[in-house]
Amino acid sequence: MRHHIIPRIVTKLLIPVILLFGLYIQFHGDFSAGGGFQAGVIFAAGFILYNIIFGLDIGKSILSVNTSKSLMALGVILYLVVGFLGILLGGNFLEYNYLSNTPINGQLLGIFLVELGVGLTVSNVMVLVFYSFNDISEEK
Amino acid sequence: MFVKNLFSAIMATTIFSLISALIFLLLDGVDVSLTEAAVGAGISTILFLSTLKHTDVMVKKSKTPSFPLIVLFLLLLGLLSFAVSDLPEFGKFNQTSNSQVSEYYINKSKTEMGVPNVVTSILAGYRGFDTLGEVVVIFIAGISVLGILRKRKSNS
Repeated sequence: MRHHIIPRIVTKLLIPVILLFGLYIQFHGDFSAGGGFQAGVIFAAGFILYNIIFGLDIGKSILSVNTSKSLMALGVILYLVVGFLGILLGGNFLEYNYLSNTPINGQLLGIFLVELGVGLTVSNVMVLVFYSFNDISEEK
Repeated sequence: MFVKNLFSAIMATTIFSLISALIFLLLDGVDVSLTEAAVGAGISTILFLSTLKHTDVMVKKSKTPSFPLIVLFLLLLGLLSFAVSDLPEFGKFNQTSNSQVSEYYINKSKTEMGVPNVVTSILAGYRGFDTLGEVVVIFIAGISVLGILRKRKSNS
């Protein structure tokens, strides 16, 4: 894809918009449509587009396989930590009311963190699946 | 199944996903529509295409299915159609799952959660435990793909 100038230029223009839209879906998900899952998928799609156009080597220098693996696990851990924080602060598992000074703020903070965990896991799983699909083709 | 070229089959699935995303959008299911557009039309197309690098593009002629398979298929079909008769009537307004829970969510979500988007408050708040399970399932699926497709040792 290195020599196709039109896809390269269009991708350069589009990728910031795609990533920004992914972040918008992620962090504005509780006020408009969207949430962690959709945001993770959109973010991963933008990054995979970058990989397709500019090559896997440049992509892997930005987000290596090992970083992606740890981020994938970090998402699940973040979710669980929020869940157990609810118990430690005097509520039930995944009860967000006690996370902040008022129940409403606690709910907002809890939903925000949980969605962040979902987004991290989903986007990194997608990127890793894409990486591993292409690693076996490189060996051929 | 009528398409012999896998490229056309993948494009057809993608177009189908986009159209169903539009249908979800028209039915006011914005979140579902967004998911369908991103996952169905975006990521899965990329994954299908990268799978296609390892396989042939044309479908091979398949054998005629064996007799026990046909019987098994008909049995399953009968069983499932029998189970459908136990489901509540489609679009019925007064059934319990429609009248109690969703009304509670719609009325209380704003005051209890402070989140205007009811879908988010159900997914991350009221049904947070289910979402945790969903994330763990995705995590396990990712680990499984990594395990299956991991790089072989160079000497083998």
